[in-house]
Amino acid sequence: MKRAHIAVLLVSLAAVLVGQVSAQTPPQKPSADKILQLSDMSRNGWISYGVHTTIENYENGSLKDEGVFDVTIKGMNKTLVKFLNADVKGQYLLMVDDDMWIYMPNTRKPIRITPLQRLMGDASNGDVARTRYAEDYSATFLRDEVLDGTPCDVLDLHAKRDGATYNRIIYWIAKETNRPKRAEIYLTSGKYYKSIDFNTYAEIDGRMLLTKMTITDKLRSGRTTIMKYDSYGPRNLPDKYFNKDYLEKLR
Amino acid sequence: MRGCFRAIAATAIMVATSTLLYSQDLEYRLSVVDEGTLNALNKETPINYDNSILPQPYRGNIGTSNLFVSAGMFSMLLNLSTNTDNLRSPTYSYSLRELAFDYSLSGAVDITIGKKILKWGTGYAFNPTGVVEPQRSPSDPSDRLGQNEGSKLASIDYFSGRSSLTFVYVNDSKIESWAWHWGTQEFAMRAYTFLSGLDLSLIGHYREEDRLELGTNWSYVVGNNLELHGEFLGKQGSSTLYHQIIATDDDQQVLSSYPYTAMHDRSSEIFYKLLLGSQYTFENGINVAVEFYRNTEGLTTAQWKRWMKFVKFQSDIQRGLVPVDPATMGPSRYNLLWALQTLSPRGAMQDYCFGREYWALDRWGIELIQFVNAQDFSAVVIPTVSYKVSDNLSTYGRLSWFTGGSESEFGAIFYTTTFNLGIQVQL
Repeated sequence: MKRAHIAVLLVSLAAVLVGQVSAQTPPQKPSADKILQLSDMSRNGWISYGVHTTIENYENGSLKDEGVFDVTIKGMNKTLVKFLNADVKGQYLLMVDDDMWIYMPNTRKPIRITPLQRLMGDASNGDVARTRYAEDYSATFLRDEVLDGTPCDVLDLHAKRDGATYNRIIYWIAKETNRPKRAEIYLTSGKYYKSIDFNTYAEIDGRMLLTKMTITDKLRSGRTTIMKYDSYGPRNLPDKYFNKDYLEKLR
Repeated sequence: MRGCFRAIAATAIMVATSTLLYSQDLEYRLSVVDEGTLNALNKETPINYDNSILPQPYRGNIGTSNLFVSAGMFSMLLNLSTNTDNLRSPTYSYSLRELAFDYSLSGAVDITIGKKILKWGTGYAFNPTGVVEPQRSPSDPSDRLGQNEGSKLASIDYFSGRSSLTFVYVNDSKIESWAWHWGTQEFAMRAYTFLSGLDLSLIGHYREEDRLELGTNWSYVVGNNLELHGEFLGKQGSSTLYHQIIATDDDQQVLSSYPYTAMHDRSSEIFYKLLLGSQYTFENGINVAVEFYRNTEGLTTAQWKRWMKFVKFQSDIQRGLVPVDPATMGPSRYNLLWALQTLSPRGAMQDYCFGREYWALDRWGIELIQFVNAQDFSAVVIPTVSYKVSDNLSTYGRLSWFTGGSESEFGAIFYTTTFNLGIQVQL
């Protein structure tokens, strides 16, 4: 009887000890794909939203060109970009999954385009239209690194679908906030193509969202592109706006 | 009578304009272009020997403005132009290129009533399935001066996911003497879907007292660089008018009456227009587009030669190289003028190739267009250089060089070269 009591006591003690040990174990680190998914939230505040985007192209420090766009993103796979500059006013870019069309008001018809056809400067269509990296890339954890005083998770992203803008991205994400800090883009050949610095974030409707990023061309020195985002807000356009044939009805 | 129509059109514009101006979602685009032209005349061409049959200017200027305004359900596109050259006094014109009312019946169904430009083709330079759109000119596919006008139509669109269905009724009606006159009726239908990366449309078109036309167009992207597209439109028989000389062996005669007839009107032969095209974008941004176009309603090489021999015979009469009764000179001149109707900006023969290379380099744009007759290998080559001074101001220089033998299609055009220098302001 006494022996039985001692056994129960030992088992209970062991259970308490094991419980304490497991309580002291740090929580398991989220997977690389989960970190990537969380980082997308600071570039996409809502499932469907609109944002005013300005692209400035610099060459050796002097402003060469500036483009202003109204971007509407619906769900995971639909983007509609309205061009606002005077010389391209009325022009639209539609992206659905991996497919793109451009509508020019003078030709009055949507034209199917290839991913390489650019909006302007060093910003590819994908830089504007495809901001949910978790949809386009699979991530693996590379290393921990402190970047400009911020502890970061460094992820290695590889395109998992044909329509992804880039083939490979090395991606720095701040550990504490899950906000992107930097991206290095590599071509299929392995050549270092461009870098993206995610410069500033601002609180909008209780969400911390990206407001400025800088793209530096690593193949042609002296060329940088600054993308600025403002007037974020939820926007839910009807599905027909993302049908190629509806483009001719847009103004 | 025409004045009445213009008065009503002007009232409609004013009503639409006031509606638009008081609307909160007003959108507008204004483009003003001034373009000067210098022409090197082809004085050797039998079509217009010594520039004497249909005198062409060697210099000219066109100033044109296009104002697009839209708000809510209304949209309007108004063109004002002035044209002057060394032969004529300045002319002024205006046209209401579009005035349409668009209304969403539901999230999936839209209707449009009014005058509107609809474009259905996937081709860049040719648009065989653009059955309700203005015919495109391969030497100016982007309509740089904004001259194309819409059709008077009523259409209904149904959108579902990545598909759509459109029905269009076109009627070239007019108001004359305060009375409404119905014009020729046209019915068109398009069913569009996007399937496994393929943009695919099926087209049907019927014009009153003409034939049913059926066709398809498609486009497909391969990888990051390559796009492929095509169009086909076919019908049984043809109401196209042909010069009767192409069906005779005697091309050395002076005809006494209007020579055009619909030769294949009762034919059961299938006539078709086929377009195959592609565009490729290089890593440095250079874009190359190529297209092949076949129109079996065009002239065969033998028919063209017969027509050209006939034209040359009339030209020789006018130049006094063929001794004829002086009373024949007048009718022969008419024969030359009538013969010109065989020519078309889209080409009069059957087979054509088109190429366009475009490179945007900072503020510069460099474009090279080639429009080649694949039967006689004559061509129009058009290099254009443009410079963007600012978002609102740009300039361009455009040279059109017509090359080929004197009896080839483009070698016989009125000009050997034309040069356009333009300035464009956009707001």
